[in-house]
Amino acid sequence: MTLSGARLPAVAGVAVAAGLAGALLAPPDRLQGELVRLMYVHVPAAWLAFLAFAITLVASIGWLWRRRPGADRVAAASAEVGVFFTGLAIALGSIWGKPTWGVWWTWDPRLVTTALMFFVYLGYLALRRATVDPVSRARRSAVFGVVAFVQVPIVHLSVLWWRTLHQPPTVLQPGDPSIDHSMLAALLGNLVAFTLVFAVLLRERVRLAAAEDALETAEESAAAISPAMRCPRRGWRAPVSEWAWVVLGYSVAYGALGGYLALLVRRRVRVRWRAGQSR
Amino acid sequence: MTAPAAAPTPLRQCLELARKDLRAEARAGEALLVTAPFGAVALLLVPLAVGTDTPLLRELGPGLFWVVVLLFGVLVTLRASAVDGPAQLELLRLCGITATTRLFGRALANAALLLGVQVLLAPVAVVLYDPDLSGWPWLLPAMLLVAVGLGVLGALADAVAQGLAERTTLGPLLVAPLAVPLLLGATQVLAAARYDRGPWPWLLLMATAVLVVTLAAALCAAHLEEAR
Repeated sequence: MTLSGARLPAVAGVAVAAGLAGALLAPPDRLQGELVRLMYVHVPAAWLAFLAFAITLVASIGWLWRRRPGADRVAAASAEVGVFFTGLAIALGSIWGKPTWGVWWTWDPRLVTTALMFFVYLGYLALRRATVDPVSRARRSAVFGVVAFVQVPIVHLSVLWWRTLHQPPTVLQPGDPSIDHSMLAALLGNLVAFTLVFAVLLRERVRLAAAEDALETAEESAAAISPAMRCPRRGWRAPVSEWAWVVLGYSVAYGALGGYLALLVRRRVRVRWRAGQSR
Repeated sequence: MTAPAAAPTPLRQCLELARKDLRAEARAGEALLVTAPFGAVALLLVPLAVGTDTPLLRELGPGLFWVVVLLFGVLVTLRASAVDGPAQLELLRLCGITATTRLFGRALANAALLLGVQVLLAPVAVVLYDPDLSGWPWLLPAMLLVAVGLGVLGALADAVAQGLAERTTLGPLLVAPLAVPLLLGATQVLAAARYDRGPWPWLLLMATAVLVVTLAAALCAAHLEEAR
């Protein structure tokens, strides 16, 4: 068992289990009660979307600098995983928003700019899908990958630039984080767990891209031979409805993560099978 | 024997390329005779959908005008007359015109056309929606910044999607979300002026967006050249 094999998913699985335990054992919020537990999946999903797009930016610059196919694969893989985490953050925010604000969606600057970021990177993926030649695809998407990153600081700073319903930063702010330390520990634990899951997804997506490249090459070869803030409220019992939202949020989060991973694995197996058939 | 003529400066090259694009557009009439009237039709159709409530339409008017300018402006930047064939590109390369110069020449022509589209659509919006026009002089810098910003963004998206079968469908998806700071600034300038608040912060936001997009285009244009 190597770090590049089954060890990383195993470590990620243990971290997710520990993160889930930490999220469920953390104290309820004084104002939001049990609903605050949705923070432990929503916030890591949003942070990882930023991380994914930052990796796309760095890999895009790397490709423009050194022209290595590996950089293009990492940029594309990270953008797709980033779009997945952005969608997940929006969905979980929506589930959190309904019982808290009373609506699934509101015209809040943070929500709108996040949705725009989602569409900017959907455009990036559409651009890749539209370009057939691999070098042309890498070059066009590297340029767009650099330009598209402009949206990321806008999303992060939107809560400071405009008056919003969404709360301002509680951890990434000057001074002591405005959150109870037991909650902060649970949040950071889940952030680590989600980051490990992100690494698993990114690695699987990069492998899928490599397998797709190999398939393309194999098909080309085959064609030549013969004709895809809190402060804790201890001892407080939550109404069932709050737990229902928490359960819904966690089901969506873990269901989506598991489903996406299974989809990537299935796609890679199929691509490898097709590459084998082409030889 | 006479000395060879000095090579034209990049600015002169940009101006000549923009003139060439505007001449092609004058012959085709795609932006001003097809897209702009289509935008006017959109302004006419909206009240039929949301209801002909005059006070409501007066409030919605300026925002709808800018949405139409943004969406139809993207179509202007992706017009068929702005497509350079392989022979044209080869000729421009042989003449020593860089990809950056070409992109900014196209952006300049786009900006001029977008200003034209706005000038055509603005009276239509005023007639149909009867908006409150207090502080209207502030619209002039806003219109200019929208034209330049959208022009550069459109030229960049056009270069990124050049030669693709999905160019006209992909272009709007690439441009529209990135143009939101322009839309936001433009809509807020008039609102700020109307309530006696200084519209400077919104103009500054638009100018910053234009500057960032222009810098990104200047840095990336040369990399796109090799893609063809």
